[in-house]
Amino acid sequence: MKLIRKQAQATSSSDAAKRGSAFDRRTFLKRSGLTASGAAVAGSIPLGMMRRRAHAQSDSAPAGGNVEVKRTVCSHCSVGCGAIAHVENGVWVQQEPDFDSPLNMGANCAKGAALRYHGLSDKRVRYPMKLVDGQWKRLSWEQAVEEIGDQFLNIREESGPDSVWWCGSSKANNEGSYLQRKFAAFWGTNNIDHQARICHSTTVAGVANTWGYGAMTNSYNDMHNCKAMLFIGSNAAEAHPVAMHHILRGKENGAKMIVVDPRLTRTAAHADQYMRLRPGSDVAFIWGLLWHIFENGWEDAEYISQRVYGLDKIREEVANWDPATCEEVTGVPEEEMRQAAQTLAENRPGTIVWCMGGTQHHIGNNNTRAYCVLQLALGNIGKSGGGANIFRGHDNVQGATDVGPNCQTLPGYYGLSDGAWKHWARVWDVDYDWLKARFDSEGEYDSGDGTLAHPMNIPGIPVSRWIDGILEDPESLSQRNNIRAVFFQGHAVNSQTRGPEMKKAIEKLDLVVISDPYPTHLAVMSERKNGVYLLPTSTQFEQIGSVTASNRSIQWREKVIDPMYESKPDAAILHLFARKFGFADEMFKHISVDDSGMPSPEDTLREINRGHWTIGYTGQSPERLKLHAENRHTFDTTTLVARGGPCDGETYGLPWPCWGTPEMKHPGTHVLYDNSKPVSEGGLTFRARFGTEHEGNNILAEGAYSKNSDIEDGYPEFSYGLLRRLGWHQELSADELATVAWVAGLREKPTGSASEQDVAEFRDLESDALDAVNWKTDLSGGIQRVAIAHECAPFGNAKARAIVWTFPDQVPLHREPLYTARYDLVSKYPTFEDRQSIWRVPTRYESVQNTDHSGEYPLVFTSGRLVEYEGGGEETRSIKWLAELQQDMFVEINPADANDRGIKDNQWVWLEGPEGGHIKIRAMITDRVGRGVVWTPYHFGGWYQGKDLIDRYPNGSEPYVRGEACNTATTYGYDPVTLMQETKSTLCQIKAA
Amino acid sequence: MRSRIPHILLLAVGVLLLTACYESSDVTRHEPGVYKGEADPLAKKLENDGELREQLNQRFDGQRDR
Amino acid sequence: MARMKFLCDADRCIECNGCVTACKNANEVPWGVNRRRVVTLNDGLPGEKSISVACMHCTDAPCAAVCPVDCFYTTDDGIVLHDKDLCIGCGYCFYACPFGAPQFPKTEAFGVRGKMDKCTFCAGGPGEDGTEEEFEKYGANRIADGKLPACAEMCATKALLAGDGDMVADIYRERVMRRGGRPQTWGWSKAYGEG
Repeated sequence: MKLIRKQAQATSSSDAAKRGSAFDRRTFLKRSGLTASGAAVAGSIPLGMMRRRAHAQSDSAPAGGNVEVKRTVCSHCSVGCGAIAHVENGVWVQQEPDFDSPLNMGANCAKGAALRYHGLSDKRVRYPMKLVDGQWKRLSWEQAVEEIGDQFLNIREESGPDSVWWCGSSKANNEGSYLQRKFAAFWGTNNIDHQARICHSTTVAGVANTWGYGAMTNSYNDMHNCKAMLFIGSNAAEAHPVAMHHILRGKENGAKMIVVDPRLTRTAAHADQYMRLRPGSDVAFIWGLLWHIFENGWEDAEYISQRVYGLDKIREEVANWDPATCEEVTGVPEEEMRQAAQTLAENRPGTIVWCMGGTQHHIGNNNTRAYCVLQLALGNIGKSGGGANIFRGHDNVQGATDVGPNCQTLPGYYGLSDGAWKHWARVWDVDYDWLKARFDSEGEYDSGDGTLAHPMNIPGIPVSRWIDGILEDPESLSQRNNIRAVFFQGHAVNSQTRGPEMKKAIEKLDLVVISDPYPTHLAVMSERKNGVYLLPTSTQFEQIGSVTASNRSIQWREKVIDPMYESKPDAAILHLFARKFGFADEMFKHISVDDSGMPSPEDTLREINRGHWTIGYTGQSPERLKLHAENRHTFDTTTLVARGGPCDGETYGLPWPCWGTPEMKHPGTHVLYDNSKPVSEGGLTFRARFGTEHEGNNILAEGAYSKNSDIEDGYPEFSYGLLRRLGWHQELSADELATVAWVAGLREKPTGSASEQDVAEFRDLESDALDAVNWKTDLSGGIQRVAIAHECAPFGNAKARAIVWTFPDQVPLHREPLYTARYDLVSKYPTFEDRQSIWRVPTRYESVQNTDHSGEYPLVFTSGRLVEYEGGGEETRSIKWLAELQQDMFVEINPADANDRGIKDNQWVWLEGPEGGHIKIRAMITDRVGRGVVWTPYHFGGWYQGKDLIDRYPNGSEPYVRGEACNTATTYGYDPVTLMQETKSTLCQIKAA
Repeated sequence: MRSRIPHILLLAVGVLLLTACYESSDVTRHEPGVYKGEADPLAKKLENDGELREQLNQRFDGQRDR
Repeated sequence: MARMKFLCDADRCIECNGCVTACKNANEVPWGVNRRRVVTLNDGLPGEKSISVACMHCTDAPCAAVCPVDCFYTTDDGIVLHDKDLCIGCGYCFYACPFGAPQFPKTEAFGVRGKMDKCTFCAGGPGEDGTEEEFEKYGANRIADGKLPACAEMCATKALLAGDGDMVADIYRERVMRRGGRPQTWGWSKAYGEG
């Protein structure tokens, strides 16, 4: 049973042997570099102090010893927990808590405390392989890249670049995920996406369209300051366990904790009030709360008049949700609703936390906007202790959303307009027309509203729908051909719905390429005998890069061990293919590539810095991030502000927006939209993103502005034109103005430093082109710098909007799930009409809801997380220490429902969904779920409809624990704004197996 | 007569053998409740090493909420 | 003289099993042996509570009292350890232990057990500290390295505390005062008496 450590070339040695001969504490300290600050000092200072002192040295190699101390960041959720790794002779021999991290203070959950197993894993894909007549055959990297590359080029030739679908990853670091998006652009397609689509896409869209940015507004740490906390669709105790440290501290400080969930979760076990909600009734629930708030005049009238637009239309809808109606739809009684509303009203500021229980619905964007409206009505946004604390999922899902592979936008939420492409062409230093020529130029296609557009400007097919890109009749697609090949780099397909159709789609493809540390469910779930490639890919512990936690703090992650076996990091693999496809020189023009083929993470981050003005990813240079990592013990664990030391006054990880250039030294923004602070110190207003007026009404802020602002009222976003009107344009330096003029197309790209003479002609020029250059496109950062010098927010100062006139439901409405157990409510709360094309694929609503399945499939089926596993689970189920703790896929079923079906605890049952997918799993009989609702975890894979697929894994690489993917039984349903999949409310029937 | 000597010898040998069973000096006398295993140098170290003690106390700070 | 103790704050424990995998990680405990585990009462019902349980290193350790081969010893800090070379795997300690701490790795036919294994407070076992042999037999000796048990050091919510009993009690007292609730020092009086 002794665990064997594996080195890169699969040599092994036992842990004890690696520990070497006996050593006492002093030699140990010496070896681990902890006494590097000097033997004389080390002799007299207690360890705790030495430990702090040693930070500055932790990057350097220890003198005379072979134990290295590396600081890494957990790769299993978005809290951003640090961990310390001791590495001896290239082997990760010991894991220690990172007490100095202000985010986790040494704490880890089951996954984080098991990180070292990543360095031991014997379940990895060890070398490139391909499936030949049902057998896995070993290849060299060279062969693999040649073979795959030739086939991709062939498909590109025959069917166009959109016929290859690329999938990036939230588990790639910022540099890797950014290169994934850039790679797709250079290949010539928008058919690239990643799992944020099925995680928080409805949050990003809903929240960004309400107040500007689609991200967590505050932080985990800031929850120490809450007076109330409302969790809806979040089970932090299992999904974000270390967040519970901050949450429980907030509770101990007096915050009232309310949990709303269909299950009495482990988070609910710590709540002051728990309310059981019918799955899919979130909008009704929030309007029910607001009904009491409006009824009692508990809203923050002054805040609303200054900072919120459109709440009157919300009031009209809320009036429909009197307590009886609310209880009818949500199942929550009036008294509980009133009590919760009163708690929120009397304990301000309060925060709201939501996760996938809220987002993964076909009306997900309505849910997220309703949550925002509740917080706006209470005046809770832009305040420490308040906010919308949206807990993201994967370790870098925030970063990958910000800078990485998304099908509807270029990095930094620039969108896909010609202007966006031109911006990125300038940043990448490539010719826009060359870039455009990389795309399919054979035709224009339906962009979604019936108008035709160039493929470059049409969002690609998202993660949730790639199977439809394969299965749909090509005539119904908004692109030239079906998808013929897929390339997955770090995504678990078993986290997606409609398993049986996915299987069919995979079998139809010419080619499946999986670049991943593990084989994944995708490699085994279909009957394919040929045309599947596995490319061994490194974990985040085998590479260097930056990672963005949910609170927008960016942390530098050191490499712990070299890539294991023959694996390569994501970026190195992309570089190989870029070379094969002939665009490596263009793509890596300003990113150096070392002898091992690894693109420099520092150069890549600097390129990210140069382009991401929209969200202020511009100030976080690699140097600043490394300085934060070294001095992380100097940051306060509640405010996240460094007190003294080299980072004095800065917020940990420079949470975006960190405006301007790194030289501007913006401290980062801890709490978004907090106008009690100056912008230069992390204060903000609501973003002026939606123009200046709507239907004749002013939508800029009225009488509210950030501290010390030179404009004491609302104002639009900053452009050169606005600077000129304010007379502030003269404050731009010659260099800045030269760059602005270049971006405006009025002069050549500046090379070297510009003199005042060089730009004299532009100083007083009145030009539309010059005026149009704004805070997002000015590559000098000058416009941002000048705005902030006047303590104004570069993105303007507007009201948040409670209604979104560009979305299908202007006011968020409750609509019954496509598969609902309350079919009687469908006539009153019907879904949308079918849509011809959303992001290239037809999307059905009413034609699905038209059939009542509630008779045959009476149980509401919802899913969620277990603390031991992450996502599709391939990685965590391959970690022995975790796998031992959850060995079987199961379904939670209420005792009443179990008795009705004659089912006993732990018995095998069949769970069948209304689209016919069925899974064989164990029954766990529990009151955790209410009557009529069943719940399964979604991390299992490696089984398909009753069959263990162990024989299909490459020899010995099958995860320790396998089980049915719950999504084999889940069903159709997509949000009309983001194509988020519906996993949290469908139907099923269960019978004894 | 000839046969008595061997009997006495046998008896003597037998007594000696039996005595040997009870009188071996290699056997530890069993005192219930007293540890019988190998010594642990850590026990002594914890007792005498003030620096280790201080180090452990400092280390404990990591478990505070901070 | 310090007295090493564990304390699990049930108001903080979220049953995340971080302590369990931290223990596995530090000590490389094999599959099937659980020196530490999380016990949940009223699972899935209102009032659900979880507690992380391992050897509590009792003051008057019942395991030592019943051991027929006297393989247990207690350090001056109150850490209860045992010598696996003496242990005969009889299982008496398992019956005596109020916390179900002793584990037996091998269960074979005819009731033959392997040597008893349990939480060492990350203090290894008898014999020279920090050796390969000690690690193989007893797991990590973090105490000799100036470190406390991995389970408590890595606890997700700092529910599980390990160290000098007075310092542990101080932290806990402060929390209870802040919460204004009743102390829930589960298992303390049983393990350490009323003191």
